[in-house]
Amino acid sequence: MRNDKMGLAASTVGGGVKVTLGSAQPSRRVRRSFTIPLLLLLPFMVLFAAFVLYPVINSLYLSFTNYNAISAPKLIGIANYTDLLQDPRFYKALGNTALFVVSVVVINTVLGLTLAVVFGGEGVWDQVMRAVFFLPSVAGGIAILAVWKWILNSEGYGILNAARGLFGLAPITWLGTPSLAIAMLVMVAVWGGMGGTMILFVAGLRAIPSELYEAAAIDGATPSQRFWKITLPLLRPTMLYIIITGTIGAFQVFNEPYLLFGGVSSVGGLLDSALTLVTYLYDRGFGRFQLGYASAVAWVLFIIVFALTLINLRLGEPEDRTSE
Amino acid sequence: MVGETRSPGLHSLMRLPFYLLALTVLFPYYWMVTSAFKPLGEITKAPPTLIVQDPTLKNFYNAKYAPGVSDQIQGLFQRFTGTGFLGFFANSFAITVFVTVASLIIASAAGYVLAKHKFPGSRIVFLLIIGSMMIPWQVTIIPNFLTMRDFGWINTYWALLIPGLAKAFAVFFLIQSIRGVPDELIDAARIDGAGEVRIWWQIVLPLVRPALAAMAIFVSLGEWNNFLWPLLVVNDDAHVTLPLALGRLAGSLTADPRAAGPIMAATLLASVPTLIFFLVFQRQFVSGITVGSLKG
Repeated sequence: MRNDKMGLAASTVGGGVKVTLGSAQPSRRVRRSFTIPLLLLLPFMVLFAAFVLYPVINSLYLSFTNYNAISAPKLIGIANYTDLLQDPRFYKALGNTALFVVSVVVINTVLGLTLAVVFGGEGVWDQVMRAVFFLPSVAGGIAILAVWKWILNSEGYGILNAARGLFGLAPITWLGTPSLAIAMLVMVAVWGGMGGTMILFVAGLRAIPSELYEAAAIDGATPSQRFWKITLPLLRPTMLYIIITGTIGAFQVFNEPYLLFGGVSSVGGLLDSALTLVTYLYDRGFGRFQLGYASAVAWVLFIIVFALTLINLRLGEPEDRTSE
Repeated sequence: MVGETRSPGLHSLMRLPFYLLALTVLFPYYWMVTSAFKPLGEITKAPPTLIVQDPTLKNFYNAKYAPGVSDQIQGLFQRFTGTGFLGFFANSFAITVFVTVASLIIASAAGYVLAKHKFPGSRIVFLLIIGSMMIPWQVTIIPNFLTMRDFGWINTYWALLIPGLAKAFAVFFLIQSIRGVPDELIDAARIDGAGEVRIWWQIVLPLVRPALAAMAIFVSLGEWNNFLWPLLVVNDDAHVTLPLALGRLAGSLTADPRAAGPIMAATLLASVPTLIFFLVFQRQFVSGITVGSLKG
């Protein structure tokens, strides 16, 4: 079922690439000698085993130990997990992350779809506007976070505060006001993400056969009826895909809180107002070298992301289709 | 409007808010460029100037800079000892090129074998690759950090080059494309005496070039922007990558806002390569970004 979903998504977004996961079986041909093919596979398998499979298993093991990077790890059962569940900072990080994820995913999806509908055409002007919204996906990263930090400067020469000054308002410490912290993170994330979402929706919209709209128009459907009854239902796979990948990505947010809010003494900003799960993991693991505890944080992150993906897939299942 | 190409688009007045939104998307870039050319006095002027009054190149290099003299800005290229900013640039560039090329060679070889060969365990390998894509990569950073430490790879290029080569997503994506290559072509090549390596390199790879291009964009953009991993494995100056340098610079902004000029100069220089890259490979870029968001 999951394969089917991913294959579907890939075929809408892969550009010229034909992507099908339907036939998951490798080619039926049986080769007499496996030696050369296995040699071709070997480099990847060695790297995959060393830097993906082994770390995943080792991380699970470490999460049941008190490893501190110096003395040998000692098994302590589920103590890290029970500590975690009584740790107010963990709940703070979880709450912040959840608020961030929900806000970013909802706003990005709504804005991305709106932009795709408004600027999805073939005209030169539409293409220019799409390039503008897409720009942060191209030239983003750490560089632009440094720019944001400068824009959000707390003094009068910070441009956002200067804009407030035009209305006679006093400067705000944008990154030092706990009640604003998540809003700032959401703003930067939406700024950077809505263009990519728009591009995905444009691809999804183009995949809808125009005959459907023609038929609906002949039957006298209004534009808004056409949007709600044709466009939206047929965009379901694209939307599901955007929500799932957006949720997974947003849950792993690190660069934004770390760079905008990280300081000398804390990674989470004032009163941990911008502490997220991964910055918390970083703080415990690499700030204090509580590697066992940090591994437990990592596994809780994994479990949450995994559960949310399953829930999203279930919710996204069309009601009128029997599950395969 | 898409979908309904024949119906009139949104009334231009209704589009107005979206044009304003577009301006807010562009604004950080405008602010980056203008700030990079503002002299010291202007950069900390309140309220700030929207148009640069007195453009200067001193944020990049200040020939008159002397340590200890107040009201002097230290140009970006003077701020670091050793290889300096150009060195960080070169590090990032070399790492990005190496990881992109090497990981795609490795992934395409694996992708070819897994797409076109059946052997005992091939199904399990395929499922492991898919399964690993469900796991947030942060789960692996602590053990991988420990591996780097045990190998003695902290503060070496090895740590920046080798772990990044295991790209399960690239294998998964390339398997999908390589399955589309007709078996008849491969059989014909075999009959003509081509070996597996030649089939992979000379028959399969040229046919999946669009997928390779999309993947190359996706991988190289990820490597160019990679921040958390270098942050963990590099703490000297020689191996600092561009994002790491920018991160450190951004950190110093809090302590000294007057450093904003050179920092904006740095962000400007860091953004230029990706923009050029984008202009050259626009088509592949869109598919690269969109396959990128497929990554779980």
